[in-house]
Amino acid sequence: MSTAIDGGVRAAFRAIADVLIPAAEGMPAASEVDVHGPVLDRIIGLRPDLAERFFRGIGAIAGLPPETAAVQLNAADPQALAAIGLVASAAYYMQPRVRELIGYPGQEKRPGNPDETPEYVANGMLQQVLDRGPIFKPTPKA
Amino acid sequence: MSGKTGGARRDEPVDVLIVGAGPSGAVAARYLAAAGLSVVALEQGHWPDAADFPGRKREFELAAQKRWHPNPNVRDLPRDYPVETSASDINPLMYAAVGGSTTLYAGHWTPFLPSDFRVKTLDGIADDWPFTYEDLLPSLEEIEREVGVSGLPGNPAYPPQRAFPTPPLPIGKAGRKAVEGLDKLGWHWWPGTNAMPSVPYNGLNPCVRRGTCMTGCPEGAKSTVNITFWPHAIRSGARLITGARVREIEVNDQGLATGAVYIDENGRERRQRAAVVIVCANGIGTPRLLLLSKSKRFPDGLANRSGMVGKRLMMHPFSAVLGVFEDELDGWMGPFGQLVESFEFYETDASRGFMRGAKWGAMPGGGPLGVTSFVGSQIFSAGEGGMVEDVWGENLHKLVARRFNHCLVYGIIGEDLPEESNQVVLDPELTDSDGVPAPKLLYKVSQNSHDMLRFHVARCTEAVEAAGAIETVVVHQVRDTGWHLLGSCRMGEDAATSVVDQWGRSHDVPNLYIFDGSTFPTSGGVNPTATIMSVALRQVRRLIAQRHLQEAA
Ligand SMILES: Cc1cc2nc3c(=O)[nH]c(=O)nc-3n(C[C@H](O)[C@H](O)[C@H](O)COP(=O)(O)OP(=O)(O)OC[C@H]3O[C@@H](n4cnc5c(N)ncnc54)[C@H](O)[C@@H]3O)c2cc1C
Ligand code: SF4
Repeated sequence: MSTAIDGGVRAAFRAIADVLIPAAEGMPAASEVDVHGPVLDRIIGLRPDLAERFFRGIGAIAGLPPETAAVQLNAADPQALAAIGLVASAAYYMQPRVRELIGYPGQEKRPGNPDETPEYVANGMLQQVLDRGPIFKPTPKA
Repeated sequence: MSGKTGGARRDEPVDVLIVGAGPSGAVAARYLAAAGLSVVALEQGHWPDAADFPGRKREFELAAQKRWHPNPNVRDLPRDYPVETSASDINPLMYAAVGGSTTLYAGHWTPFLPSDFRVKTLDGIADDWPFTYEDLLPSLEEIEREVGVSGLPGNPAYPPQRAFPTPPLPIGKAGRKAVEGLDKLGWHWWPGTNAMPSVPYNGLNPCVRRGTCMTGCPEGAKSTVNITFWPHAIRSGARLITGARVREIEVNDQGLATGAVYIDENGRERRQRAAVVIVCANGIGTPRLLLLSKSKRFPDGLANRSGMVGKRLMMHPFSAVLGVFEDELDGWMGPFGQLVESFEFYETDASRGFMRGAKWGAMPGGGPLGVTSFVGSQIFSAGEGGMVEDVWGENLHKLVARRFNHCLVYGIIGEDLPEESNQVVLDPELTDSDGVPAPKLLYKVSQNSHDMLRFHVARCTEAVEAAGAIETVVVHQVRDTGWHLLGSCRMGEDAATSVVDQWGRSHDVPNLYIFDGSTFPTSGGVNPTATIMSVALRQVRRLIAQRHLQEAA
C-alpha cells in the first residue's frame, strides 16, 4: 500500500470528498476549498494515526466512480471511510471561507467583564432559586 | 524526620518522597517544603508547555481526537502508561505531566456535599467516611483560595461557606438557555463554579473563554498546580524530578518504606531514599505501584494485608444529553468548564429506584466537528452500519447548520457505588515504555449507576425540551469517560478492611502514605478534584504536626 500523497491519491480523495461534502445548502463542495491541496498534507502530518486507514480506503476505491466508491467503502471498510471523512471534514472546516459561511470565528478570546453584575442577578432569575431554600441534606447528628 | 530545609542533591536521602506531581502531590509538596522538610517528587511526565496546547491553532479539534485525547491508550505517548481495558466497561482517562490529569481537566469545581461523607448513615449503603464535610471545610476554603476558583457564593445546594476568591465567569448564551429550561421546571441551577479565575490570580491569567480547556489552556488561565502550587513548593526547596517512572517502593526488614526505585529519562535505574513516602499517582497509578512493590514481607503488594489494594475502583459512569436550539448560542465559546450546574436530583430519593444521585454541568457544544463528538470521541454520530447519506452529503451541511452554534450539552456525573469486583490488577503481559507491568481494569457499570443515568438522562432531556430544544441527542454511558479515578485504596479505621487511615497513613507500613483519590471510601456524584486537594491538605497538615512522632526507616 502506497502512503505517498501523489497526484493519483489527491485526485481520488478530491472525488470522494465531493461526495461526502458536496455543494449544497449554500455551502461549497470540498474541492472548491481545496481540501485536496496542502491542507491534506498538513492533516496527515498532524494525524499519522489516520494514514493507514486513509490510504487503505483510497487504494480500495481506485478507478470506481466516486458515488459507488463511497457506498462500497462504507459497506466493506467503514473505518477507512470514516478516516477519509474525518480528513475531509477537518480540512473543510479549517478553511476561512467555510468558517465564515457557518459563522465560526474559531476558538478565540472573548474576555468577560468580571465587574459587571450578571444578568441573572440583576433580573431576579437567581432569586427564584434562592427563594426555594437549601436543597442539600445536612450532615446527620452523630 | 530531620526537618532540614530542602535543596537535596540527587539521590541524597530526604525527609519525604512524593510519587506523582498532580494536584494531590503538589498540595503535599508545597506544605511540606514550606514547613522546612526536604522533599523530592518523582513524576513520570514533564512540565507542560502552554505553547504546545493546540487551542490557538486551526486544527484544534483534530488534535483533540489524538495527541490531546484524554485516554492514554489513544494518545499512545511514551510518558503515559497503557491500561488494559478489555474487561472494563469504561476507559480510564488521565495525563502524565506536572499538573497530572488536570492538564486536560474541564475545571468543574464541585466539592463533595455533606451527604457524600455519610451515605451509610443516611442511605444505608456503602460506608461513611471517617470524617465529615464540616471537618474538611477549612481545608477546602484554603484550597479554593490557592486555586483561584471563580463562582458566585450562596449556592443553596451547599451549606454556607467563605466566598470564592474570584467572581463567576459569564454563563453565556448557552448557559442562559439552560437556565430558561430549569427555571420553567422550578429546578435548581447555579452559575458554574470553575477552577478558572475571572481576574488575574496566583500566577494565573483570567479566563478569556477560549473554550479549549480540555486540550490544555493556552492562556495560562485554567488552574493547574504547575502554575499555582509547584512554583511555591520549589521556591521553598522541594525538588521535582520529571521523566522519572517509579517502579517500586522498597521496604526494610522492619517493614518500613525506605524510598523508591525509579527509571530516569535516560532509562537508568535510580534509587531515592526517604524517611516517609507519599503516593499521589491517582486511583489507578497508586494501586498499580503498590501491587508492583511486592516483597518477602509483603507478598501480595505493599500495604495490602487487607487485600483491598486495587479493589472498589469507582469511575463515575457518564451520560450526556445534547440539546439543539433555534437560537445561536455561541456554542464554541468557553469556558469548557461548566456554564451552569444543577443539583436538583443529587440527593437520594429511593422512590426513583436507585440510590444517591448526580450533578449536571451545562457545557457549550464546541466547534464544527463537535456536532458529532464530545471531548475527542465521536459519540453523537450515526456510527457503523449507517448509510453514507446519514452523516455525509447534504445531510452533513444540514447537521452543521442545525447543530453547530446551536447546542448545549449536559454532562451527568453520577455517584458510582463501591464494589469489590471493580478492580485494578497488574496485567501479565502489557508494559509501559520502561518495561514496567501496566495495570488492567476489571470494571462493570453497576445496575444502580445504569438506572441512575437513565433517570437523569430523562430529566436532562426534559430540561432541554423545557428550554425549547428542537432536537435532543442522548448518549448513554459514554465509554471514554473514566475521568475520576477513585476508591482503589480505601481509607477507614479498620486495618482489616481498609488500606489507609483518615490521615492517609497505611495501616501496614507506618511511614507510607496515600494522599490521592484512591483513598475515597465513596465517590460522591461530583467531579472530585476540589475534594482530593482538600483531603490532601488536611492529611499533610496532620503529617507536619505529628512529624516528631513519625516512625521512619
Ligand atoms: C479529561 C479529564 C477531565 C476532567 N475534568 C475534571 C473536572 O472538570 N473537575 C474535576 O474536579 N476533576 C476533573 N478531572 C479529574 C482530575 O483531573 C483528577 O481528579 C485530578 O487530576 C487528580 O489528581 P491526582 O494528583 O490525585 O492525580 P493525577 O492528576 O492523575 O496525577 C497523578 C500523577 O502521578 C504520575 N504518576 C503515576 N504513576 C507514576 C509512577 N509510577 N511514577 C511516576 N509518576 C507517576 C502521573 O504521571 C500523574 O502526573 C478530569 C480528568 C480528566 C482526565
Ligand atoms: S475557556 Fe478559559 S480556561 Fe478554558 S482554555 Fe479558554 S481561557 Fe483557558
